[in-house]
Amino acid sequence: MNHGLRSSCLLGSLVAVVTLGCDFQTPEFHLNMVQMVSDATPTPKPYQEQIADVLGGMFGTPDEPFALPETGLDIRRLKMAAGPAWTDEKGAAFGLYRQHCSHCHGIDGDGQGPTALFLNPYPRDYRQGVYKFKSTYNPAKPTDEDLHRVLVNGIPGSAMPSFSLLASAEIEALIEYVKYLSMRGQMETALTNYVYNDLGEEEVLDENGDPVLNEDGEPKTELIPLDPENDEEQRAAITEMLAEIVEGWNEANEQIIVPTEEDIPTDVTDMKKFAESAAKGRELFYGTRANCVKCHGPTGLGDGQQDDYDIWNKAHLQFLESVANDSGEPQFASIREEVAESLYPVRNAIPRNLRLGVYRGGNRRIDIFWRIYAGIAGTPMPGSGPASPGAQGTLTEEEMWNIVDYVLSLPYEDASQPQKALPINVELVN
Amino acid sequence: MRNTYAVPLASLLSLVVTCQINAADWGSLKGKFLVEGSTGDPAPINVNKDTEFCGKHDLVDETIVVGDNGELANVIVYIYTKRGQSLDVHPDYEATATEPVVLDNKGCRFDPHVIAVRTNQPLEIRNDDSGIGHNTNASFVANPGFNEMVTNDSPITKTLQKAEPVPAPVACNVHPWMKAYAVVREDPYVAISDENGEFTIENIPAGQHEFIFWHEAKGNMRDLKLKDGKTDRKGRAKLKIAPGETLDLGEIKVPAKALGK
Repeated sequence: MNHGLRSSCLLGSLVAVVTLGCDFQTPEFHLNMVQMVSDATPTPKPYQEQIADVLGGMFGTPDEPFALPETGLDIRRLKMAAGPAWTDEKGAAFGLYRQHCSHCHGIDGDGQGPTALFLNPYPRDYRQGVYKFKSTYNPAKPTDEDLHRVLVNGIPGSAMPSFSLLASAEIEALIEYVKYLSMRGQMETALTNYVYNDLGEEEVLDENGDPVLNEDGEPKTELIPLDPENDEEQRAAITEMLAEIVEGWNEANEQIIVPTEEDIPTDVTDMKKFAESAAKGRELFYGTRANCVKCHGPTGLGDGQQDDYDIWNKAHLQFLESVANDSGEPQFASIREEVAESLYPVRNAIPRNLRLGVYRGGNRRIDIFWRIYAGIAGTPMPGSGPASPGAQGTLTEEEMWNIVDYVLSLPYEDASQPQKALPINVELVN
Repeated sequence: MRNTYAVPLASLLSLVVTCQINAADWGSLKGKFLVEGSTGDPAPINVNKDTEFCGKHDLVDETIVVGDNGELANVIVYIYTKRGQSLDVHPDYEATATEPVVLDNKGCRFDPHVIAVRTNQPLEIRNDDSGIGHNTNASFVANPGFNEMVTNDSPITKTLQKAEPVPAPVACNVHPWMKAYAVVREDPYVAISDENGEFTIENIPAGQHEFIFWHEAKGNMRDLKLKDGKTDRKGRAKLKIAPGETLDLGEIKVPAKALGK
């Protein structure tokens, strides 16, 4: 128990707004405030509270997680992962997420834990349910196996370490908890959109059904409460939204990209074949169909297109720009400023330096094949294969394998022609 | 006894008559957007990719497209539908329901800048820039997004299953200045104001609808003054479409400030 108390104390003291001393507050989930006060879905305070209540009812708290049966989440695993870190008499560990993950990924899974500011790349924000390193088509969710691979192998080139020393039951519990945080975050977005689109102000009517007027002679309005417990229509809508979210996760296994056996062109032990394939890959790399050169640069150092963003940073950038240009409706003006100040500096999406031989999503040929085929979800990297099962892709599988071979050959340049180092653009990399 | 039959017969007759005049149970909406004040000249694009090809097109920022006399293009007008609600669709729209909507990568910009596509209507994405590689990256709320390479002579075709609550941004990451918006609705009642600032939505089911006014610069156009009243904080206004008539909103003044200028 001691351990849990200490870590939550540490968390508390690192958060910018601190009361004096350490008050051992029970951790709570927070709303995605960028979303709440964005231009797209400005959400009045009473709705923010109602959304938090509905989420609390559906998902519980960081100490007492809950999952509706239709989520398919294993509550036993969630309980192992949630809450303060402690060990029972037999040595079984609990509170795994708080012990291993929350300092970077945050209690909410928002990727804004206390250490996140010091990391580059920033830790993943799970709340959009978008993951980069996976075996599935671009818009599809990762499979459990994909998440498992990231947890066990870590992400080379980032601060994400390997958790291969954890017992497999502990890894399973963490995978379940990450999915839980994603579903919760996706539900929050769905509720925010629902409230904005379908609820809102309605005219107050008197007993005769006539509008009640305010002092200015205009119809008086009030907010239609988000109250699924008492409103059947809302309950049905929310049930449907949850079903859509869960379906996305459930169908991940049907969205796996399985390469066609006969298109795998090279036998890596045959250097001549490999060189032939890599040469074809090189043509494609520089050609307009694959167009790798535009971002990864003519040298493959990742020094091409550098002024773009991933979806996580772009959302923050757009929010910051909107706050700078417009205070929004008066009811949101001060909170918008506060939220803008709380965000970490926005970072560009820097294309991978392919000369290093460090591949964040794994260095097996299949890993690189998946990246080229589906692109990297949430980033500027587009897919060159079919976008969904049965669709038409830009490149054939054989061509994509050729690029895999070329990419794999890049770090092993000829000694006679060493590449220059990547020019550092301080402004962009910050 | 006779008399008691007379009333139902008369109402039955009137029912028949209503059925026959059903064709007139549709109305239209039109208007013209004019900017009040100056939005300034659109900023030229800093073409730093494929400079040789893209540089010759004199590209400018297309966030706000205004004519010589303030005509505001690319204002999107569509009808709010509650979750699960659908509108009746006039038979005239049937012919276009399956006609592909084309979004072209042309001259290092998206052409057109705003597209309206119905659910299940094919969306064809082309690349007519010879020798130039583009990707098309669409971010949706309700539909799965996509981010794919698009090459010359091999367009990609998408169909979207669900209506999007707001216009969805489309980008090309190779040329980050390239932006477009896709309005995805179940019904065909979407208008995009043209270069004269004018828009028309035809054959809307008669009755009161909540119309949404949206522009790229600031999203929902709140407090937009209309003939009677104004749009609310979500850029929506309840308007009554009379059967067989066109509701003309006339000139709708959009202050430059409301576009962030």
